[in-house]
Amino acid sequence: MLYLSEIKRAKVVDPAGIEIGRLLDVAVVPKEQFPAVQWAILRTPGGERIVRWSDLERVSRGYRLKDSAVPPAAGELPPEALRLGRDLVDKQIVDTHGAKVVRVNDLQLDDKQGQLRLVGADVGLRGILRQVGGERAAERVAGLLGRKLPRGIIPWHLVEPLESRQQNVRLTLPHAKLALLHPADIADIVEEMTADERLAVFDQLDVETAAETLGEVEPEMQAAIMGDLDGERAADILEEMDPDEAADLLQDLPEETREELIDLMDEEEGADVEELLAYPEDSAGGIMTTDFLALPRDLTTGQAIERLRELQPDPALVYYLYVVDGEGRLDGNVSLRDLVVAQPDTPLTTVMNPNVLRVEADTPKEEVAALIAKYDLLALPVVDARRKLLGTVTVDDVVELMMPRGWKKRSLRSIAR
Amino acid sequence: MTVASRPRQTLRAVRRRVPRKAAFAAFLGVMGPGLITGFAGNDAGGVTTYTSVGARYGYAMLWLLLLSTAGLVVIQEMCARMGAVTGKGLSDLIREKYGVRWTIVAMLALLIANGTNVAAEYAGIAASLALIGVPSTISVPLAGIAIWVLVVFFSYKVVERALFVVILAFVAYPITAVIANPDWGAVARGLVIPTLPVEQAALIAALALVGTTITPYMQFYIQASIVDKGVDPEQYGYARLDVLMGSVLTGVNALFMIVVAGHVLFPAGISVNSAADAAKALSPLAGEQAGILFGAGLLGASLLAATVMPLSTSYAICEAFGWESGISKNFREAPVFMGLFTLLLVAGGVVVVLFPQQLLIQLILASQAVNGLLLPIVLAFILLLASDRSIMGGSANGRTTSAIGWGVATMASSLSVGYVIVTLLGMA
Repeated sequence: MLYLSEIKRAKVVDPAGIEIGRLLDVAVVPKEQFPAVQWAILRTPGGERIVRWSDLERVSRGYRLKDSAVPPAAGELPPEALRLGRDLVDKQIVDTHGAKVVRVNDLQLDDKQGQLRLVGADVGLRGILRQVGGERAAERVAGLLGRKLPRGIIPWHLVEPLESRQQNVRLTLPHAKLALLHPADIADIVEEMTADERLAVFDQLDVETAAETLGEVEPEMQAAIMGDLDGERAADILEEMDPDEAADLLQDLPEETREELIDLMDEEEGADVEELLAYPEDSAGGIMTTDFLALPRDLTTGQAIERLRELQPDPALVYYLYVVDGEGRLDGNVSLRDLVVAQPDTPLTTVMNPNVLRVEADTPKEEVAALIAKYDLLALPVVDARRKLLGTVTVDDVVELMMPRGWKKRSLRSIAR
Repeated sequence: MTVASRPRQTLRAVRRRVPRKAAFAAFLGVMGPGLITGFAGNDAGGVTTYTSVGARYGYAMLWLLLLSTAGLVVIQEMCARMGAVTGKGLSDLIREKYGVRWTIVAMLALLIANGTNVAAEYAGIAASLALIGVPSTISVPLAGIAIWVLVVFFSYKVVERALFVVILAFVAYPITAVIANPDWGAVARGLVIPTLPVEQAALIAALALVGTTITPYMQFYIQASIVDKGVDPEQYGYARLDVLMGSVLTGVNALFMIVVAGHVLFPAGISVNSAADAAKALSPLAGEQAGILFGAGLLGASLLAATVMPLSTSYAICEAFGWESGISKNFREAPVFMGLFTLLLVAGGVVVVLFPQQLLIQLILASQAVNGLLLPIVLAFILLLASDRSIMGGSANGRTTSAIGWGVATMASSLSVGYVIVTLLGMA
């Protein structure tokens, strides 16, 4: 195994053995899993010179140009090429396996039959020591203590480089690997990025993943991301989010921005969100979602199942099915199990549970959380003064309120550093 | 024109058209980092240095304070701007631009400067509590444990607010200055006529004055706060105002401290060797209670800084080298972070407990001189980075800003070099 720091500054000679310069950097196009080094950037007395890697061969102490007449390859370097030393070393990358942002201390290369490939990022202590020429010494010291210096290498196919700004040209990198992670993991990662990097990620994710990821990001950051995104795109993502999450997010934005965004949203989704925004933030109305399944009370269980088949509802919605009258007033709830085991011609009203626990929209959210915790509920319906079903509060909306205080230690870091 | 008719416009651009009345709200939104950093600058080191300089040299060094404050404004603005434009901390930028070797240099400077600062904060705690007869063998370990518990178990915001109330005791200085009615003509002369005796003590005092006004620590802190607050280039105008106000207020506060000490202590020939000496400066306002007023302010300032400084240092260093950091992690998850944090907290306390009680004030002054000595290193990085167009784009330093910045750096370095030469020549 070879490291970039070991070949950097290596002597480069011409075919006659006369030194023409030193190896400054190497460049790859990051398309393959383990990208091949295609160009070498040399520092010569006459300035920077770029040659093809295949025009170099390894000699005892450095590299030799195979042919003195090799054409300069500067024009070949595509804009998406990465110079390993300049664009990656000392910079931050995403470790998609550990789902975190880490800093590159050195790069691991693999030389097979003259084909040099980028195989890993060294993010460990060894990388730092190698850069300052202290790896050997540190190894010896560790050896004396009967320990081994740990290696901290992330295989390159698990690495996602971040955008880098060079001479004000923003390099847009594909974030395909990132997009495959769980939205909660993506959220953890983007929280550690700079605003530019975050924006690039959110621009690339598909709307559904973007919406789920945004829902997992810290509230203050949500607002910042929304503000940076293109208006249409922001509205698309909001439509995809649960209405209660979208409303929470919009709550944190300045009024003008909020209104512009709601205008850009689909009429139906926009209206839902606007309705939710009318409730105080810390009440049942403020945390509920308007997505729920209500079945008219005059259906039979068979018809109800037929209705479900047509609607194909979200898995999260089928835990509780609500039964409402012609005016939308809550009469009871019924479980999927009860629907399935009943004879198809049984009226819904006979299998439903008429004594359903419910809260009104102005109930404080702490009380809602306490009820959900006490009765082990997955969701609690919210009604208005006339018992009309408005929405439901699901357990995930109140889970934070049930956690012991102080589990979110992040806030501390934001001021105290 | 409606937004829908030009859908490619970002919301940020839309927001820029907001009417005037929203401007004040926008200012309040980003306000804070500059003022907080400014206040944090008046920690144990600041109070002690300003009082002691005033007591020993009267108004003679006010000109240096004026220059330092101007320097502070410029440098703080640069760091805040870097934070807003790049979204990265100062140590991240140093690492990304200059590589591991220079990062080690910068981080060592920061570690040493802040290590001595932490010791100074403990000395401030010990000195203030000594006023009510608590020996440092009790006050220091107690403070150390209290800080540890605060940081690990409590919300920092609560602690910060509580301690700020105590620091407000320093508002007593401007009031004292008005009551005592010093010779304002002499103050003005001190501000504009540069004088500096060529002797080691005066050079240490000058170095400490610059070092405590423009601390390396404040520069890392302001940039990190701007980044954490998510201030972006569009909001930067307001953040800049906040930073300006913070720096100027720090300078004005320092001015009053020197003036009060210069008016009350200097003519009486009282040199500040203990917190009780320093408290006498407030006697025109508080009379016999001066000790309590001074002690409360010093204790609050020291506790706050002793809480923030070890944390902030550990974050800066760990992020530069890519080590796991975060206060919610344990020793196994973030060994370097927790190790550094604990080391700073414990080592600072041990130094102060072992130190002779009557020399605590000297220890604080020396720590500020160390800050002054290391300042040029940090300043050089800041100036180079903030002028670099490949990092800052169109927001890079202009010619005037650069010139002032390098002027400050030159002033700080010549004081450092002067001090080293004078020390070597033995001109004590």
